[in-house]
Amino acid sequence: MIHISETAARKPKVFFWISGLLSLLMIGLVALPSVWPSTYSMLSPLQIDTDPENMLSVDEPVRVFHNSQKKEFSLYDMVVVGVVNSSHPEGVFNKKSLGDIHALTEFAKKIQWQDKDGKTQGVISADLMAPSTVDNIEPGGPGEVKFEWLMKEAPLDDAEALSIRRKAQNLPLLNGTIVSDDGKAVALYIPITAKNVSYNVVEALKSKIAEFSGDDQYHITGLPVAQDTFGVEMFIQMAISAPMAMLLIFLLMWYFFKKASLVVSPMIVAMVSVIVTMGLLVVTGNTVHIMSSMIPIFIMPIAVLDAIHILSDFYDRYPLYKDRKKTLQHVMKELSAPMLFTTLTTAVGFASLALTPIPPVQTFGLFVSIGVILAWLFTITLVPAYIMLMSEEAFADFGLDHTDMDNNSPLAKALNGLGRVTFRGAKLIILGVFALAAVAWVGIDRIVVNDNPVKWFSADHEIRVADRALNERFAGTYMAYLVLKGPDAERANLPLFAQGLKVGMQTHAMKPLNEMASEVDGLLLNARDRDQLIALLIAKIEQHMERVSDEDWTAWDDALTWVGEYLSKEEIFKDPQVLTYMSDLQKYLQTTGLVGKSNSLSDVVKTVHRELFMGDEEAYRIPGSRSAVAETLITYQNSHRPQDLWHFVTPDYKKTNMWLQLKSGDNRDMSALIDKVDQYFLDNPAPEGISHDWFGLTYINVIWQDKMVAGMAEAFIGSFIIVFIMMVFLFRSLWWGTLAMIPLTFTIGMIYGIIGLIGKDYDMPVAVLSSLSLGLAVDYAIHFLVRSRELRKNYPDWKTTYVAVFGEPARAITRNVIVVGIGFMPLLAAPLVPYKTVGVFISAILILAGVATLTILPALIRIFEGLLFKKERI
Amino acid sequence: MTYLFKALLVLSVFWAGSASPALALDVMEVVKKANHVSYYKGDDGRAKVNMRIIDDQGRERLREFVILRKDNDQTDGGQKFYVYFNKPADVKKMVFMVIKNMDRDDDRWLYLPALDLVKRIAASDERTSFVGSHFYYEDVSGRGINEDNHVLVEENDNFYVVKSTPKDPKSVEFSSYKSWIHKATFLPVKTEYYDDQGQKIRSYTALKVEVVSGHPTVTSASMEDHRSGGKTVMNYSAVKYDVGLPDKIFSERYLRKAPIKYLR
Repeated sequence: MIHISETAARKPKVFFWISGLLSLLMIGLVALPSVWPSTYSMLSPLQIDTDPENMLSVDEPVRVFHNSQKKEFSLYDMVVVGVVNSSHPEGVFNKKSLGDIHALTEFAKKIQWQDKDGKTQGVISADLMAPSTVDNIEPGGPGEVKFEWLMKEAPLDDAEALSIRRKAQNLPLLNGTIVSDDGKAVALYIPITAKNVSYNVVEALKSKIAEFSGDDQYHITGLPVAQDTFGVEMFIQMAISAPMAMLLIFLLMWYFFKKASLVVSPMIVAMVSVIVTMGLLVVTGNTVHIMSSMIPIFIMPIAVLDAIHILSDFYDRYPLYKDRKKTLQHVMKELSAPMLFTTLTTAVGFASLALTPIPPVQTFGLFVSIGVILAWLFTITLVPAYIMLMSEEAFADFGLDHTDMDNNSPLAKALNGLGRVTFRGAKLIILGVFALAAVAWVGIDRIVVNDNPVKWFSADHEIRVADRALNERFAGTYMAYLVLKGPDAERANLPLFAQGLKVGMQTHAMKPLNEMASEVDGLLLNARDRDQLIALLIAKIEQHMERVSDEDWTAWDDALTWVGEYLSKEEIFKDPQVLTYMSDLQKYLQTTGLVGKSNSLSDVVKTVHRELFMGDEEAYRIPGSRSAVAETLITYQNSHRPQDLWHFVTPDYKKTNMWLQLKSGDNRDMSALIDKVDQYFLDNPAPEGISHDWFGLTYINVIWQDKMVAGMAEAFIGSFIIVFIMMVFLFRSLWWGTLAMIPLTFTIGMIYGIIGLIGKDYDMPVAVLSSLSLGLAVDYAIHFLVRSRELRKNYPDWKTTYVAVFGEPARAITRNVIVVGIGFMPLLAAPLVPYKTVGVFISAILILAGVATLTILPALIRIFEGLLFKKERI
Repeated sequence: MTYLFKALLVLSVFWAGSASPALALDVMEVVKKANHVSYYKGDDGRAKVNMRIIDDQGRERLREFVILRKDNDQTDGGQKFYVYFNKPADVKKMVFMVIKNMDRDDDRWLYLPALDLVKRIAASDERTSFVGSHFYYEDVSGRGINEDNHVLVEENDNFYVVKSTPKDPKSVEFSSYKSWIHKATFLPVKTEYYDDQGQKIRSYTALKVEVVSGHPTVTSASMEDHRSGGKTVMNYSAVKYDVGLPDKIFSERYLRKAPIKYLR
C-alpha cells in the first residue's frame, strides 16, 4: 500500500475535509467574480466562448489578415433573415408580405443600444441590406438615368410588389442575394457591431416577427446566430449530460457492487475532480469553449476507472481477509503500479493535445490531463479513506459467499468461456485481427477530412432548417472573400520613379510636358514620395497656367491631366484589363459548381455601364478605357449608398474584394475552391502582377481544420512513442511493452477504419478521438498484462494461469468497460452533434479496446508464451 | 463642437461690432434671408472647390471642381449651376449641370466625356450622394424653403435656431433638422439632421467665413454622417461674384464644350 493511501486510511476525515474545502474554494473563486464581477474584478469570472474564430490563436496570421480585411472593406458579421412564403403564387412578392418585410427592416434599423462603455451596439443601419435600403439604378425617360430606393415604401398593391421584384432581379448585385433565384423569397442582411450582440438582435427581430399575421416563414441564420445558440446548448449539455452520466455510472456501479453506500466514494472522487479541474480552468482565466465544455464529461468516467478497479478488487478480496485494512493493503499493493501507469498514460494522451496548434484543443487536453491526475490522487486517498470511515459491520454481508455467486454469474461464466476460446483459438484470433486490420486499412484510405460548424447542430435544429431553406433558394449564405491586390509599390525607389516621369514627359507629343520636364529634378529635392512629387509638379504647372492665353490653356490643361493620371496608373482596379480578368475569373467560378454567386467591382462597373446605355444588355460589359471606368464608378457614387463601393475596393483602388456566396459551408468544398482558384491563377496569369488571398469565416474554418489534422497527427505520434517507452519501462521488457500497445493500435485502426467505411467526416471531434483512445485503450492492456504477469508467478504455465486471469482481473476490466463505456452515453442526449459524435465513438473505443485486450492479448501470450515468460523460467 | 467653435470665432472676428439688436423677425423672414445669403449672392458667382471625402477609417478621396452659378432674376427663385470637374484626373471634364426650377422638379444633367454621354438624371430624389461625398445634391443647389415647416425654437444674442419639419416626410431620410442662423449675416453656420428617434444623423458646419466683394461667404464647410462615421470637407477658393456669366453656357451644348474662359 503506497504511503499516501496508507496515510489517508489512517486519517480519513482529514482527507475528506481537505477535498471538501478545496472544492468549496474553487466554487467560491469562480462564483464570486461571475456573480459580482465589479467587486471581485481581480478574479477571472466564468467566460463562455463560442466563436469558432478562436480555434485559431489571436495572433495567427490568417486571423489577423481576416480581421484587417474586414475592417478595410467595412464588412461586419451578419444576421441573415430569409423570408419565404409557400402559399402565395408569387412567394413574398405580394403587398402584404413586402409590407411586413418593410416594417421589419425599419424595426431592425433601430435595434441599437448603448453598452456600459457608452458605445452604440446592435445593428449597423447604414450597411443593412434589404429591399427598402438598397438602390435601384435604371434608365428613366429617354436619355435619363435614375437612382431610387428599390422599395422606398411598402407596395400599395401586388402589381407594385412584382415591379420591385423585376427591378431587383435586373441588378446582378441583388439577384440571388436579396431576391431568391426563383424570385419568390427575400433575404435581409443585417450587419451587427459584434458577434456577441446577435442574441439580443435576434430576440428583438423575433418579437417583431411575432406581430405579423401573414403566412410568411421567417428563417434567421448567419454564423453569429449559430454561435450564440451554441453557447446556450453548451450549457444544456453541461447541465444535463454531465449529471446524467454521473447518475448512470452510479447505477451501474451499484448494480455491480450491490452496495450503494460504498459506490458513493467513486462518485465523490469524480465530483471533486471535476469541480477542482473546472475551477482551475476558470480561475486561470481560460474560457469555456466547445472543447472545454466537454471536460467534465471526460473526467467523470475516467475518474471512476481507478476507483472501480479498487472496489472490484476489494469486493473480490474482502471475504478472504474479513478486514477492511488488510483487504485494502492487499488491493493497493496489487493496483498501485498499474493505476499510476494507466493514469500517466491517459494524462500523456490528453496532454499531447497541447502540441496541436489549436488553442481550445490545447486547453482541453491540458485540463483533462490535470483532471485525470487529480482523479488518481483523489482515488488513492478518498476511496481508502471512505472505506475506513465505514464500519466493519457494514461489510458484514459484503461478498458473503459472493465468490461462489460471482464465479457463477453470467459475466463470470462468459469470461471463463472467452478465456478458453483465447487459449484454444489463439491463432484464429490473430488471423481475424489481420483480416480486420486489412478492412480497417481500406476504411482509413477512404477517410474524408471535412467539417462545418453549422452542421454541429442536429439536422432538425432551427438553424439547420433555416440554413437549408435559404441555401435552396438563394445563391448561398456561406461567405468567402477573395482579395486581389497588385504588387506593393516600391515607395523607396523615388529617384527611379522621377527618372521615368521625366523621360515620359520629355518624349511625349504634348509640348507643355516637354517644357516642364526639366522641373522634375528640382522638385525631387523637396519631395518625400511619389504623391508629393506629382503634387509639386501639378502645382508648378498650375502656376504656369495662370499666365497662358485661353488658346494655349487647353493644351496645358491636357498636360496637367496627363501628370494627374501618371500616378493614378497605380489604381489598378480601374484598369479595364484588370476588371475583365476579374470578370472572367467570376465566370469561371460559376462553372465550378462550388460558388452560388460572386459579387465584385466588375459587376458594379458593368451594371452601371448598362444602365447608362439605356439598360441595353449589349452594354453589360467593362468599358474600354480607364476614364470610362472611372466615370461609371463616380456615377455609381451618386446613389443613396455610395459607401457600398468600398466593400468591393479600397478607395485607392489598389486592392479589391470579391464576395463569394457559397451554398455549402463544408470545409471540403471550400478547400476544393481554394485549389481551383490557385489553379486558375496558374493557368491564367493575372495582369499587373496581381496576387490573391482569402478571408472570411468559411476560409478560416479550413485553415484551423488543416492545422488541426496535421497537429493531431503529430500529437498522436508523439504520445504514442511516449506511451510505448513508458510501457517498456513499466514492464522492463521490450516484448511486454510492445504487447501493451497492440490493443490500442488495433482499436484506433478499427475506429478510423469504421469512420472511413461509414463515410463519417473526419471532423473536429473525430480528430480529438485519436489522442483520447490512446490514453484510455492502453489502460485495459496495462491492467491485463500486469495482473497476468503477477498471476503467472503462481502457476506453472499459461494454460493454468489464463483461468485465473479470466477470473477477477477480467471481471474488473469488463466492469470498467461497461461502466465507462455506458457512462459516456448521455452525450447522445446532447443537442449538438460534436458531443454525440464523441459519445458514440468513445463508447465504441472503450468497448473495442476492452474486447481487444481480452482476446488479442491472451491469444498473443498463448502463442508467444516462450518468448514472454523466458525470464520467469530461469 | 470644435468646428462650431471655430466658425463662431471667425464670425465674431468679422462682425463683432456690426450685430444689430435682434428684431423680432418672422421665422419665414429668417429662413428667406438665410436662403438668400447661402445661395443667391450677387447675380452670379463662381468658385473653385476642393472637396475632401474622409471615411470612418480616415481614408481620403479628393475631388476638385469649378462651380458656376447664375440666378434667373432677383426673386431668389430659379437659377442655374454648372459644375466642372478637374480632379480626380480620370474624371476630368466631367460636368454636372442643374437648372433649378421653382414650379417643378429641377433638371439635372451629367456629362461623362470618356463614355461620350450626356445623361439627364431623373428627378426622383435629390437626396442622393453628390459624387460620393457626404453632401447631397440638394445640399449643393439648396433645398426649397417651402418644402418644410419652419419654427423658431430659440433665439439668443448670436443665432436664430430654426427647426424645420418636412411637409412630405416620406420624401426625405430625416424627420427634422435644426439650423443655427447667424443673426448678423443670416448664414446658417450649423445644421443638424435628426431621425424620428431624435438621434443626430448628419450635421453641416460652416468652418470658415470670409467677406468676398461685400458678401459674407462660407469658404470652408463640412458635412458629417454620424451613422457611417465619415465626413466631407469643402474648401472654396477664387470666389467671385457678378462675373457676368452668359446664360448660354448653361446648356447641353456647353456640356461637351466647356466654357474655359469662366472655368480657369
